[in-house]
Amino acid sequence: MVDVQGLVNELVSKLRRRKVEGSSATARLTAELLRSVISQSKLPTTNQPAALIDAVRDVGEKLIAANPIELAVGNIVRRVLHIIREEDHSNARDAVEGFRLSVGGDNDYIVEQDHLNLSAAAQSSLCRPSLHALLERSPDSETTYFTATSEDDSEEKSKSLDQNAKSLKFRRKVISAVNDLIEDINTCHLMIAELAVKHIHHNKVILTFGRSRTVKEFLCAAKEKKRSFGVFVAEGAPKYQGHLLAKELAARGLQTTVITDSAVFAMISRVNMVIVGVHAVMANGGVIGPVGLNMVALAARKHAVPFVVVTGTHKLCPLYPNNPGVPLNEMRSPSEVLSFEQFSDCMDYRIGTGAPQLLVVNPAFDYVPPELVSLFITDIGGYCPSYMYRLIADYYSSDDVVIQQKPAS
Amino acid sequence: MWWRSASFILDQRHLQEDPSNDIASSSSKQPPDTLSSFMAAADPFNPIPNPKISAYYQTRAAHTAVVTSDWLAQAQAAVGHHPDDAQAPQTQQPLLAASSSGKSFCVINEFNNWRMQPDLAEAVAAIRALAAVIRASEATTMMELEIELKKASDSLKSWDTTSISLTAGCDLFMRYVTRTSALEYEDFNSARSRLIERAEKFGEISCKARRIIAMLSQDFIFDGCTILVHGFSRVVLEVLKTAAQNKKLFRVFCTEGRPDRTGLRLSNELAKLDVPVKLLIDSAVAYTMDEVDMVFVGADGVVESGGIINMMGTYQIALVAHSMNKPVYVAAESYKFARLYPLDQKDMAPALRPIDFGVPIPSKVEVERSARDYTPPQYLTLLFTDLGVLTPSVVSDELIQLYL
Repeated sequence: MVDVQGLVNELVSKLRRRKVEGSSATARLTAELLRSVISQSKLPTTNQPAALIDAVRDVGEKLIAANPIELAVGNIVRRVLHIIREEDHSNARDAVEGFRLSVGGDNDYIVEQDHLNLSAAAQSSLCRPSLHALLERSPDSETTYFTATSEDDSEEKSKSLDQNAKSLKFRRKVISAVNDLIEDINTCHLMIAELAVKHIHHNKVILTFGRSRTVKEFLCAAKEKKRSFGVFVAEGAPKYQGHLLAKELAARGLQTTVITDSAVFAMISRVNMVIVGVHAVMANGGVIGPVGLNMVALAARKHAVPFVVVTGTHKLCPLYPNNPGVPLNEMRSPSEVLSFEQFSDCMDYRIGTGAPQLLVVNPAFDYVPPELVSLFITDIGGYCPSYMYRLIADYYSSDDVVIQQKPAS
Repeated sequence: MWWRSASFILDQRHLQEDPSNDIASSSSKQPPDTLSSFMAAADPFNPIPNPKISAYYQTRAAHTAVVTSDWLAQAQAAVGHHPDDAQAPQTQQPLLAASSSGKSFCVINEFNNWRMQPDLAEAVAAIRALAAVIRASEATTMMELEIELKKASDSLKSWDTTSISLTAGCDLFMRYVTRTSALEYEDFNSARSRLIERAEKFGEISCKARRIIAMLSQDFIFDGCTILVHGFSRVVLEVLKTAAQNKKLFRVFCTEGRPDRTGLRLSNELAKLDVPVKLLIDSAVAYTMDEVDMVFVGADGVVESGGIINMMGTYQIALVAHSMNKPVYVAAESYKFARLYPLDQKDMAPALRPIDFGVPIPSKVEVERSARDYTPPQYLTLLFTDLGVLTPSVVSDELIQLYL
């Protein structure tokens, strides 16, 4: 028996100490942990989905609290919750179908009435509220969960065996869905790279910012399809990961030019398209990306250059940026900007051990509003920013959007 | 060239057709805050009001505006007109509906009774009225019931063509009836009772809608923020009340909202909640916009493009906010989504209301009396509805799901 609690604590401490960074890595680890939680958790025989949801939610709260800026953690937690609800809903629907066939003559009408209520309620708990279901929503119905056999009064003995079989099946289905999710996270680069040929044409010049693995795969895939194009790489201070990307691209045979971040405005008129990777995509279509990205977006808008964002769907977050629960920025160590040796000159040693006369601020992220983004290329296709709400409705349930933080002691 | 534009020509035609503007407007002015029986007496006997005066905005003014001495004077003068007004329009009613003439009169009556409650939205009143039609109906099949409902809904809509939430509410209910009747209900009576029950419950849904909207918007109000509010919207008031109850520290700038001066009423309400309020005249919005963190407005209707129709002045405020990069948030319940697509300001049915300048205006001078304007979706940031927080582009998606 694997110690689930131990695994949870391990991931929480890794997140808190920022030992694990990057959306794909954290997303994958979160998904794997939640898979263990689901397979190991003891579930009651009735009302399984609710218990599973509670278990996943508990773990999710802890993970999100450990690293609130890493939105991928919250995204995966919500995805898993949505998967559980979906399985429950399809179970309920199957039960209704099966039941219709088996029920006899007399009780037909009453039972059918219940089924309609059942399916309506299960449906409402799954789908987000919509205009055409406005009058069907009764104001005092709680979101209740129906197991496959909750309305079955007639058969009893066979029920318990059925229950066990159904509960195992349910868990198995959920776990296989979570496995699909992990697979998606791992292969999102490949899916996105397949779309590269459609967007990159001959003799174009692409500008990218910093280093994104997705962008690298994207560009290399186009190169492999024998497109010849040039790439400008903005170095992405203070980490200068753009240098690394430029070397990798040059090794693959692409014509690469390195520029500083400040030179973006000067060079943007020579560029046909800007392609960047981001940290997270918000519900309104805005993106959180590496610091300096907003400048690139503004430059692109000024010169009417399309600003394309490549992202996996695990980066899509159902929250809005104005929400104070969403931290838009994180301050990193100032030594990345100004090393401690240089800094020691600016300390005022007349005051105790020394007070800094100079402040150094090193924010990690930038918010780009949706008006500046032209296109999102995801592993399921290309979409405009105003379409994000649809993807969110597909992948997340509205009940899961707020995952309550435990009150700090 | 303004005197050649299409909208100007249409306006001229309107003016020529109805030269008796001023007399009509003074007689149908309704005083607020007098006995409700007076108001109840006023409306049912004038079921087809002067189409130049929007009944919807009259009621809003009646509910939410401030009593002034000239209103009261008008009230005194108007009392004398009533026995005369009662007779003439009543005879027109039976012409509207062929067989159920009594019914359609009941619908309007019923609707007005519900509408008088200041806390009830128009759409809820409409749906309650239609529920009453179902209850009183003697139909034996769904088809018959649907036809009766359609007639009642049409008469309600034609009674006040300017109210968007009324139209939207009627359409929503009709759509629901059509879809429900498509389900295999073996028993007509149970289907009927279900429809009635749902319609009655709709009132609770709408109250719950306001609470959901208030909850959703809490996250967007942060401590120390300044909110600009325009007009008196019950939903926005609920939002601010909830924020005050959650002990958030914020202050509110409230526009006066001429000609109803509904802003004064809103500032009273907010002062009761101990929220710091500052009143602005409508022209002072741009002057204070840089101190403002966000703009909160309600909506009379949300149109297909994602824009809103709201009290006159909303478009102006949205333009100023947009040019200064301030977010504009709209709080609207989902039953206000309407199947309209105005292309410009004049593209809607005109909703006029009398404006009192306090001094007599020479008759040669025209007055712009429209009560509402249309704000295009590009100036709105987010819509808070009971369906969730939406960007303006989601609205048409929702409407398509409903109607197609």
